[in-house]
Parts: sequence; structure tokens; C-alpha cells
Amino acid sequence: MDEEPERAKRWEGGYERTWEVLKEDESGSLKATVEEILYQSKRKRVIESHGQVRLGMMRHLYVVIDCSRSMEDQDLKPNRLTSTLKLMEAFVDEYFDQNPISQVGIITTKNKRAEKLTDLAVQMYCVCVCLCCFTASPGNPKKHITALMKAVDTVCVGEPSLYNSLNLAIQTLKHMPGHTSREILIILSSLTTCDPANIYELIKTLKSLKVRVSVIGLSAEVRVCTVLTRETGGSYHVILDESHFKELLMLHIKPPPASSSSECSLIRMGFPQHTIASVTDQDAKPSFSMSHLDSSSGPGLSLGGYFCPQCHATYTELPVECKVCGLTLVSAPHLARSFHHLFPLQAFIESPVENLQGDRFCQACQAELKDKSVFSCPSCHSVFCVECDLFIHESLHCCPCCIYRQTAP
Amino acid sequence: MASEDEINLLVIVVDVNPIWWGQQAQRDPQFTLSKCMDAVMVMGNAHMAMARTNKLAVIASHCQGSHFLYPNKSWSGGDGGGNDASSSGDGKYELLSAANNLIAEEIRNIMSKIEVTGNSTDTLLAGSLAKALCYIHRLTKELEVGQEIKSRILVVKAAEDCALQYMNFMNVIFAAQKQNILIDACVLDSDSGLLQQACDITGGLYLKIPQKVALAQYLLWVFLPDSEQRSQLVLPPPAHVDYRAACFCHRNLIEIGYVCSVCLSIFCNFSPICTTCETAFKIQLPQIVKPKKKKLKQPM
Repeated sequence: MDEEPERAKRWEGGYERTWEVLKEDESGSLKATVEEILYQSKRKRVIESHGQVRLGMMRHLYVVIDCSRSMEDQDLKPNRLTSTLKLMEAFVDEYFDQNPISQVGIITTKNKRAEKLTDLAVQMYCVCVCLCCFTASPGNPKKHITALMKAVDTVCVGEPSLYNSLNLAIQTLKHMPGHTSREILIILSSLTTCDPANIYELIKTLKSLKVRVSVIGLSAEVRVCTVLTRETGGSYHVILDESHFKELLMLHIKPPPASSSSECSLIRMGFPQHTIASVTDQDAKPSFSMSHLDSSSGPGLSLGGYFCPQCHATYTELPVECKVCGLTLVSAPHLARSFHHLFPLQAFIESPVENLQGDRFCQACQAELKDKSVFSCPSCHSVFCVECDLFIHESLHCCPCCIYRQTAP
Repeated sequence: MASEDEINLLVIVVDVNPIWWGQQAQRDPQFTLSKCMDAVMVMGNAHMAMARTNKLAVIASHCQGSHFLYPNKSWSGGDGGGNDASSSGDGKYELLSAANNLIAEEIRNIMSKIEVTGNSTDTLLAGSLAKALCYIHRLTKELEVGQEIKSRILVVKAAEDCALQYMNFMNVIFAAQKQNILIDACVLDSDSGLLQQACDITGGLYLKIPQKVALAQYLLWVFLPDSEQRSQLVLPPPAHVDYRAACFCHRNLIEIGYVCSVCLSIFCNFSPICTTCETAFKIQLPQIVKPKKKKLKQPM
């Protein structure tokens, strides 16, 4: 059934003599080795940039959480379910931070069935004269986080069903527009699955719908998941411990490279102004915020807010889809948050500190360069220390000295 | 009251664009760069005098680079090195007088030694803010166990914005917001949209000063209290921030635009090809609807 050879398993390779990594120096101290190991782990975090690869910025992601009996296992403290839900709350926050115009939905599976915990937001079909497009409205993490917090009390019973949960996700994902990326992330702890039909047929359907499925296994590698992720182009990992689990979850926050066959289109969006009016302004008219129509807390009159440029409906926060006219409302910083994925910063060149002439100071933080290697930017040749290099690549995404030399925005 | 272990760090970024300051000296001889630096030094001294654990850093933002005025690379940490500099005859706290002398000397060095190429009056603040963030990050890493640090950045801006640095500026703002660092802005001349967005996103204060000669007064009254104390004071109200995006083709501010799904560039008009990433867009032709033939009622 599968023609590609599977990668070699760990027990098939030779012995790894892990004790030989630790070397003592003359005084018997392990300090140098420990520092070296910490340094290597810091460097590992700076992942290579993809360059000019197209990324799927508007993502529709479904997360399937296994709620079967095996989630009550206590190898992750206090039990697997609580630990997973806690990590998912952090994931949802970070996801909306890095992908402000994307969507997430959560599905749980137990007792051979699957059900939606939270949904991707409702889509609006908007027709204008020369172009037809689907739009899905941007997301709000609070709804998902409240649902996750309530889910801690669910009883874990029965067996999960991969087929049913994938089917449920496909029902919504297949209607999503072609220019968005459709993804499913499955957190599977059980080693079995109970499917009503042949899952290999479903894998073919997923492939034709261009859905990318990734799996994070909590117990062990399951062959069906290996085939599923390989055919759809996703990734499959099994966790070692809780910190590894967190690392694997956070890998899915970066937008994946877009497949070459995804369509590209121009999406119509509005950029409302934020008006802050006080009671003494003569023109200020109080209005209800449209976003509170659904919430149970009573609608509040407010003087300011964001006004939709098309229909002047009021909203208190962005991004949001106007309920009256269907226009997606964002603010320019929301789009700017994703720019660093599209124009990633080049990796800096490592060189030993002895080659450096002149002052040995990091040009970003003014610290003395005491590490054994320094990093220099390939375009402006300024020198940075290890900590600044990490900080620049993880949070800042721009070189502090290149700004004075480049003219591109 | 702040506990003994909480360090309050204030980083002041001063815009020292020599062309703007030269023109300013001709326009209004009462307010020159030296007066501005005096006001900044007063602010720095006041901040350090508020608590023993307060720290200060001053960065000068030149059009060709940004330089740390205080603490400097040759600054050995406050004692030992400065034997002649720190003994001021008037009984001032040594740290303050040493800091003032250092700032004055450094700014003199910078203004005299750096040759100005070109005649742009724009300032590139994003680089100085990025260096300020790296400095704050380094100090956060160097903390001892049990100490906490709260940092904020105060920008004293003179010249106009440079539109080229939009993306870098936004990256810096988001990095500051992530680390809970406030960015305050004190603008001397023309309003700056970028700084208004920075203050709005990070939760800082934005103020355009009506009278430049009173700079020290505004700095002390408005920007000296830290974020906890600000909730109890009546401060200038937040400015109206223009979050409209500028279209990539004409640089006009637009309210409704078209966004490319691949590279997120914003256009004011629909076009079949994105100019940034050169993707051709799929246009779906409208469905041709045949008009229904209505049977007209024959008049009797």
C-alpha cells in the first residue's frame, strides 16, 4: 500500500554512548561541558528561515483532542487531559497572537464519537459585482479558552474515533475558500481507534481536499497516523515529556508553507478608525456595540468604538466581521504582525571571538563579549552576542543596525 | 510602595537629528539641543533620585546610527574609574553628577565627530528602539534571583517620521508589547502616526508639547511617574490614533481595501496581479442569470 520506505527505528541503529558526552576537566568539574550543552540548546532554537517561500497566512485549523479512557493516565501530571488542556490554552493565545487573521476550532472525541467543542466562526457569503468570495471572520481567543477551561471536568470514557473526528472537521473545512490553508492537528493518546468505515478512503478524500493533518502522539507511534500524516503532508511526533509536548505544540504556531496549488485571491477588508468621544462632544452619539448582541451580559451603550466604514455599525474590538454588511474589519497592526513571517530575518554568521578586532562589545546591548563566538549580520556586519542573537531572531525579527542602511520598508 | 527588590529601568531615546536641530536653532534660539539635553538630564536625575534601585539609560538617535550616551562602554559601573569626574564641589549625589558629565561629553563627541551625509530630516527611531529593547533584555537576564525589573522607554522626538521604517517599527512595537514594556512619547514638533500607534499598543502616553521651552516641566509632570502611579493621576487623555492602512500603490490612507492573501499587501483598487509577490489572482466570473420572463397580464 505504501511505496516509500519508512525511516529506521531507533532500536535498529547502533548504541548511543550518551555517557561519553560528559567530560571532566582537570579539576574534575563538569562546568565547561554543561555550558557547552546549554549553548547548543540555545542555538538549536534559532531555526533556519524559509526565505521566499509562500506561507499560508490565513489558516483554518481544527484541533482534535482525544478524550478517551487513556487520557486519565497519570504519566503527565496531574493527568494527561488536564495537562493537554492547559497547554492548549497557551497554544490558543499564542496562535492568535502570531496569526491574527486565522481561525481555530476544537473537536473532542470519545466513546467512538466526535463532537465540536468550539467552532470556526460562521462564514458569510458576500457577493459583489465582479468577484465572489467566501470570507470567514477573524477569531477571538476568549471563547476557546473558556471552553477549554470547562472541558477539564469531562469524563474520559470509551475509545476515540479518528474517522469520525476527521469527518466532522472536513464538513466545515471543505467549504473554506481556496486561498486559506486547511489544517487539522490531532492530539492522540490512545493506541486504538474505532472507525465505522475504511480510513484509507478518508485519507484519499483529505488529500484531494488539500487538508494537512498533523498528529502529536502521547503514547507511542501508531502506523495509521504515520500514513495519514505522510499522505497529507503533515508532521507526526510522539512526545517524550511535558516540555517536549509544549515544544511540539508550539511548532504548529508558525504558518506552514503554502502548497503550490492553493489559490490566491484579493480579499476585501475594512480598516475602521477608533473614535474616542467624550460626553461633552456635541457630535457624540451613544451606540450599542454589535459584538455584544450574542453575549449574555447586557448590551452597553458606549460613545466611542470602531465604526465599520461601509455601514457604520459599532464594534468594541478588532478583528471582527461586521454582522450587518459582512465586511471583515481589521486594523493595520494586525496585518503587520504577520509580516515577519513573510520577510524573515537572515540567520547571523557565527565566528570565533578571537578574530574580532577592536572593541569587544555587542552592538545591541553594549555588553562585553565574553562568549567564545560572536554573531554578525551578513548585511551590515555588526557584531552581536549570543543572547542578543537569540532575542533578535525570536522576538525582534529585525536587525538593529541594518535599519540605518536599508531603504526597503 | 515598590519593594526593595524591584528595579525600575527608564530608557530615554533622544532624537538628535543634527539637521533638524540646526534649523531649530535658527528658528528659535531660545530652545536648542543643549537646552533639550539639560531637560533630559533633569529627567534622568529625577528618575534615579526616586529610588535607590532605579536605573537609567540614555540613547541618542542620530540619522546615521544610534549611540548609547549613558551607560557607556567605558563606564565601569559607577565607582572606581571616575576620580576626577565624580567629585563635584556642590555636594550632589555622585552618581547623578557623573551621569550628567558623561552624557554631556558623549553628546559633544557624537555631534562633532560624525559627518552628516545627505540632508534628510527624518529620524530612524526603529533602530534606537531595537537597541533599547536589547539592552533591557540583557539587564533582565542579568538579574539576581528574587529581583524583578519593570522597564519603560521614553522617546523625545524632534524631526518627522520616516515612512521607510514602518515594518521595522511595527516589529519593535510588538516585541515591546510582548515583554510588557511601555513606550511613552514626547513630541516636540510634528505629530507622528507611528509613535501614536506605539503608545496605543503598548499602553504608554503620547504628548505633543505646546511649548518647547517648557520641556523639562512636561517631562517631570507627565512622564516621571511609572505605570502603577499613573492610574491615580490625571494625565493628558489618549490621542486619537489613525489605524487606517496605507495602500502600497499610492501610500494613501484607505478605509476599505483589498488584501492579497499571500503577502498581505494592501491595495486600494482591485488589480489582477499583486505587485509585491506577483501572484495572479483567480477571478471568478459572475454567474450569468437569465432574466425570468414574466407573463404580463393582458389588459382586458
